[in-house]
Amino acid sequence: MTSTIKTEPFVINIGPQHPSTHGVFRIKATVDGERVIDAEMVMGYLHRSMEKLAEERTYTQNIPFTDRTDYLSSMSNNLGYCLAVEKLAGIGVPDRGNAIRVIMAEFQRLASHCMAVGAFTNDTGAWQTPVMWAFREREKILDLFEMTCGARLTCNYMRIGGVAFDLPKEFMPGARKLVQSLPGFIDEMEGLLVENEIFLVRTRKVGVLSPEMAINASLSGPVLRGCGVAWDIRKADPYCGYEQYDFDIPIGYQGDSFDRFIVRLEEMRQSVRIIEQALDALPGGPHSTQVPLALRPPRGEAYGRVEGPRGELGYYIVSDEGPSPYRFHIRPPSFINLSALKEMTVGGSVADAVVVLGSIDIVVGEIDR
Amino acid sequence: MPLPILATNNWYDFRDLSNFSRLILENLDKILPHGIVYVVAVLLGFVASFLIFVLPSQLIVGVYGERKLIGRIQSRYGPNRVGPFGLLQPIADAVKLMQKESLMPLRGDVIVMNIAPLIFVAPCVLLFAVIPFGPRMIIGNIPSALIYFIAVSGLPVLAAFMAGWGSDNKYSLFGAMRIVAMSISYEVPLVLALLGVVLFTGTLSLQGMVFWQRDLNIWIAFAQPLSFAIYFIAVGAELNRTPTDIAEAESEIVAGYLTEYSGMKWGLFYGMDIGYALAASAFAATVFLGGWSFFGLDKWVPPWLIIVTKTQLFYMIFIWTRGTLPRLRVDQLMAFAWKFMLPIAIANLFVLATERMMWVRAFDADLKFVWVFVPINLLFTAGVVFAWARFLGYRPENTPRKARLVNQAGGFIPLGGAKGETRP
Amino acid sequence: MNGAGPVIGFWALAALTLVAAGGVMVSRNLFHAVLFLIVSFVGIAGFFVLLSAEFLAMAQIVIYVGAISVLILFAVLLTPRAGRDNGETAVFPAAALLAVALAAVFLFVIYDADWATITSSPDVSVQAIGDALLDIWVVPFEIASVLLTAALVGAIMLVRTPEEEAEDALA
Repeated sequence: MTSTIKTEPFVINIGPQHPSTHGVFRIKATVDGERVIDAEMVMGYLHRSMEKLAEERTYTQNIPFTDRTDYLSSMSNNLGYCLAVEKLAGIGVPDRGNAIRVIMAEFQRLASHCMAVGAFTNDTGAWQTPVMWAFREREKILDLFEMTCGARLTCNYMRIGGVAFDLPKEFMPGARKLVQSLPGFIDEMEGLLVENEIFLVRTRKVGVLSPEMAINASLSGPVLRGCGVAWDIRKADPYCGYEQYDFDIPIGYQGDSFDRFIVRLEEMRQSVRIIEQALDALPGGPHSTQVPLALRPPRGEAYGRVEGPRGELGYYIVSDEGPSPYRFHIRPPSFINLSALKEMTVGGSVADAVVVLGSIDIVVGEIDR
Repeated sequence: MPLPILATNNWYDFRDLSNFSRLILENLDKILPHGIVYVVAVLLGFVASFLIFVLPSQLIVGVYGERKLIGRIQSRYGPNRVGPFGLLQPIADAVKLMQKESLMPLRGDVIVMNIAPLIFVAPCVLLFAVIPFGPRMIIGNIPSALIYFIAVSGLPVLAAFMAGWGSDNKYSLFGAMRIVAMSISYEVPLVLALLGVVLFTGTLSLQGMVFWQRDLNIWIAFAQPLSFAIYFIAVGAELNRTPTDIAEAESEIVAGYLTEYSGMKWGLFYGMDIGYALAASAFAATVFLGGWSFFGLDKWVPPWLIIVTKTQLFYMIFIWTRGTLPRLRVDQLMAFAWKFMLPIAIANLFVLATERMMWVRAFDADLKFVWVFVPINLLFTAGVVFAWARFLGYRPENTPRKARLVNQAGGFIPLGGAKGETRP
Repeated sequence: MNGAGPVIGFWALAALTLVAAGGVMVSRNLFHAVLFLIVSFVGIAGFFVLLSAEFLAMAQIVIYVGAISVLILFAVLLTPRAGRDNGETAVFPAAALLAVALAAVFLFVIYDADWATITSSPDVSVQAIGDALLDIWVVPFEIASVLLTAALVGAIMLVRTPEEEAEDALA
């Protein structure tokens, strides 16, 4: 968009109260006409001091906090934290516990990507229809969570050394039925949007990010994979026995918003594949090892990371042999992914900025912690 | 023009509601002083068209039907709490809106902001004056009804602009700027498309167009498919319906020029948005879809029922697109209007004028030969759309629409492919 | 048309148009002035209706209210600090001179015109206007359209920057 009429640049606030900022996040955009010439991110509206609070609580008491950082993928958050503590204290997890963790984490990825894809299409202006379709499927996944641990959003299901409860009887038939129906839904979503010319012109070549830039900014998750970089913690640094499962890493072509979208869709398919394999090969035995409630890990530090729905989710914990962590730090993927927002929005229009923000798929609870 | 009387003159003949109103007016004329009856007639016409058409359409189909249909598209129920099947939901909404506090921005231009909803409402009521509901059911059968419609339907843009400017909000200003730019851009192909219709029918009167279509047993939508398509897209853009609703683009500029409005002032804008959509649908039904005639069925079925049905069905298409399509960006919409729609509208007009000339010269203006042009125009529509799109450099994109799959983690994988990559 | 209706209509429209025209001059806010201008355009369209020239009235609404005033609004919008009052500008003497000259011309025309009323109303149907425009008045009509096209091209040339022209020359 080149403008021939000279206009005065002016500042508009996209957020903190804006329909498409996905929470209380704010972009202070300087626009010239409709073109964004500068974008400044303002965050911290949802800061709850998670990292400091965690220093006052025992290792087990910290698990519910992790639910509340990225509230759309609590299972993955639990998992990342538990992996870090297990690494610190040298606790092993039984096979069944690991398999349940994988199933839950992949279901969580599906649920989170449903939300991401729906919200992203809402940002492109498809008036809520894809969101509602995605929510329909997400509800079914949340039903499974509720069946297992009693909560839908903040599950608090993973424990240090395994998971809180074994799978209930009715979980397996429900999960199998859902896994069979999910590919149909993904195809439906693809049919609605990927063939839609308006959707293509709105997302293609919008918010293009070069792979070098993405790697330098230490991005991760679908945003990084959309640029064509094959990087997935599940493959690169397998945990919970991901090396047993057969799945592929979807990568994009040119790093635009559309690539991030199709990478998410394909990741949903791969998640379904993993869940199928895990359900088939679910071993018996205990779901958890016995871990003392007042855990005092040896002095040292550990970094546990998982491939969350939004990217590399890391927990860095330092222990001084006390009952609570000496230092607790979260590496939130959306926060790091946001650092490239300015690169992607400047030069486009306001409408593009919204699309780009949607394609990063931020969760403000995680950014502000 | 002598009107073929389809219904009897008895007042109870509900096929023509004008009988009933004439009965009232004739009796009133005996009581009231001379001349006043014309004022009463106009008021009665507005009230009648409002009661039998606008209000039920707006509440039942516009608000309730839209929400219900979109609800079903989105795999949810839609309103189902208030009244039977949720039918009273629009009334509950209106009551809620009326008792809401009307907030005004402190720095806004309060007078302009308060007048804007009124200016937005008035033209909508005026638009229905020229829509023929039956052979004699028309409030103002003026000879240049088409121009009247175009003129009056241009007025709400001013109201929207006033709303956006008076609000003193950047989002509102964005919305106002966009709606004005859009309406200027899309008015041009819209009028050119309607000019094609005028060329064929040879009249600017909407009633005349209905009779033309009725006499020939052909709808102009078939005779001039390109005009119809251009009208549909352009009017969707003027009415701010998805995929062209950039002036109220919720995900970008909150609510556009309505951002600062609340309560019934917002309600007037919302209600009249539907009113304009209904007026445009009724206009499209009249000009392109045969109006109150339906291939002879209008002798038995009340004509006003036919046009109301056609209007609602046309309006359903707006709801359908709203529930399905994403929104275009503002520069893409502008480019579409000027680079695509305008040239093909001009080409369309040129071809229609040539046809009209041939028809007058070669066939001695024998109206039957208009059927010859139906296949020609269909072919021309397909051809010109394809050819112009090619000329503009549009190619169906061959870039893949599925992500590449890689089996092993690694660094950046260029497009050529690498080890472990499986093409989808 | 006889009776009280047209007379009442005339005076009402006259009052509306004149008050709105006064508003254009008095209003200190540029945006309000444009809105007043639109009201006076609508009033003039009403006069055309009173004179049974519906087509002219529609054309007045389409062109002046629908298009021209929207363009003026756009110009106002793109003007920096459009909200400021337009009371003191440097061109006040020139504008006053122009206004006086225009008033003189109008007064002369009003004084000079033969205001004898006509008995039969002329044919102002759309067909008659179309025939007239494309038959006897076709040359002025075409000249007007050429003029407008020239104005359009000129406007585009005016807003082009030297850099863009250089770009075009390269391309």
